[in-house]
Amino acid sequence: MSDIEKKLQAEKDRLNQTTAPPELEHRLRTVLEDKKRTRKKKPLLWKTLIAAILLFGLISYNYNGLAYYGKKILGFDEVNSETLNQLNEAGYGQIIDKELELSNGTILTLNGVISDENRMIVYYTLSNPNGNIAEAYNDLWASKITGFLTSSQFESGSAEINESETELKGMMDFEAPSPFAKKLTMHFDEKTANGQYVEKEISFAFDPNQALRTSIKQPINQSMQVDGGTITFKSIIASPTMTVIKGSMNVDHLDRVRSPFSETYLFANGTPIADLGSGISTNITGTKFELEFDALPSHLDSLELHVDKFVGYHKLDKAVMFTPEEEVEADIGSKKLTIKHLKHTDRGSELTIVTDEDVMLDEVSMGNESRRVELITTIGQTYEEADGEMRKKRTLLFDETKEADRLYIGGMHYMKAYNETINIPIK
Amino acid sequence: MEFLRLVKKAQKGNKEALLQLIMEQQNEYYRLAYTYMGNQHDALDAMEDMIVKLYENIDTLKKRESFYSWSKTILVNCCKTMIRKKQKIVLIDDWDVPKCSDQDYYESTKDQVNREHQMDIENMLKHVNEKQAEAIQLKYLHDLDYQSIAEMTNVSVGTVKSRVFQGLKKMQQVYGGGKIE
Repeated sequence: MSDIEKKLQAEKDRLNQTTAPPELEHRLRTVLEDKKRTRKKKPLLWKTLIAAILLFGLISYNYNGLAYYGKKILGFDEVNSETLNQLNEAGYGQIIDKELELSNGTILTLNGVISDENRMIVYYTLSNPNGNIAEAYNDLWASKITGFLTSSQFESGSAEINESETELKGMMDFEAPSPFAKKLTMHFDEKTANGQYVEKEISFAFDPNQALRTSIKQPINQSMQVDGGTITFKSIIASPTMTVIKGSMNVDHLDRVRSPFSETYLFANGTPIADLGSGISTNITGTKFELEFDALPSHLDSLELHVDKFVGYHKLDKAVMFTPEEEVEADIGSKKLTIKHLKHTDRGSELTIVTDEDVMLDEVSMGNESRRVELITTIGQTYEEADGEMRKKRTLLFDETKEADRLYIGGMHYMKAYNETINIPIK
Repeated sequence: MEFLRLVKKAQKGNKEALLQLIMEQQNEYYRLAYTYMGNQHDALDAMEDMIVKLYENIDTLKKRESFYSWSKTILVNCCKTMIRKKQKIVLIDDWDVPKCSDQDYYESTKDQVNREHQMDIENMLKHVNEKQAEAIQLKYLHDLDYQSIAEMTNVSVGTVKSRVFQGLKKMQQVYGGGKIE
């Protein structure tokens, strides 16, 4: 058996000491108890047709209005973004005002929602005159909103606590509900005093006609080449609360930088739109991504996506000379490498280096003119800020070599400047 | 056989039978979920998602004897879906620090117990790509056969074998004095 297999065996033995927690059975049983199984049968064609005609009638009957007659949801200016505040000011929200008492006496109030094709934002308040509201907040885990044709997952949230810690105002972001849902139920887990999670729910009436209308929904279908492959921007959905760009990619070494889309910007009429985040997922059909930006301005002349930087690779084949005690700075491609110091410990020889945060060195070894040792592993990676730039510091561990004076670097993964512009035609 | 009888019962909608099948191998399921999710809370959530999916789809299971590999495949998919969702959540406390990558997330949520022992293998797995690491973990830590791993990761048996082989080879290189940082 090789060393690796021994290590894997040891890890397996360790893992085998992990046993399922005793609450597992209870939790699984609880989940199963309120499940009803629906058997799927294939409907006949004419049945489908009738259903389609009925559905069409339902849409045209219910969805022609799209009148906004909402009200303003009060008290959430602090947790809201500017866009959401403007929508709220204009009265595009729906007031709910439903309360639920939680197990520790805290009252959860759903104040209102704003929704459109991209997402649903729920505004809520937690209040407890005895204080400790942060604890109540930490014990709550929102999971999803369900309703007719709707199962919208929780995506993110933010909240603010008042000084006396008796009240918390927050917002939660969910996936958009179906435009046919008239009653929605928010599901969440609450951690009770004995550490168990109890599922709770709160239902409220929803008027899909008050959902905000999507302003742009169209394909982009433009690709760009990067060092590791191709990125394809597929579509854009711009709704009043946010703009979502979807696409797919086939790029190697994507995991070598922290956030590959951190330097991709959306420009409307030449002005950058605030970045709200990005997500990447991989499954059988490949890697997909979603870039989220703030809402677009109401008057639109031009729309461009700027990919300033993306994951790239630079072949270096370079030796950097250093002295054990002194700090050395060297240029590697367009980047700076700082070699802090070389120390010999019982683990081996430890070389501490600092680079920009997006740099990951490849094919690294250390030695002198006659001898080279390969890298064993990297330890103690930390981030530090210097002159407004984030720098990444870590220690490279080698087998002990007392007389090393140079570091060999084969190449590096980094955020490479591509400066590509994708023009999105506005129909 | 008792096992097949239980699967049959579960297929007819018997919740207790389904639960009994799961509890029979509860530790195996839990360890699998734990490997993906890295903490108890998320591992249990993933198992809840799994049992719902099992219950809703068990009537589509044709080969009763493959219940366990089928259900574990579903568990792995539940875990992956949850991880994907999680990536989108940024807690208010984290606003000041830079966004975490998958790997950071994975590291920061691992329980601190046994950390030292784990370091070695974790470090070694970092040297191979995610897919190779997944295949190696499923094979060596969870004792799954190539066929099941192929189903779980949606690739052919040949690909799984090659991932395991290439991954081990890479780890061997690194461990015996590797190259990649």
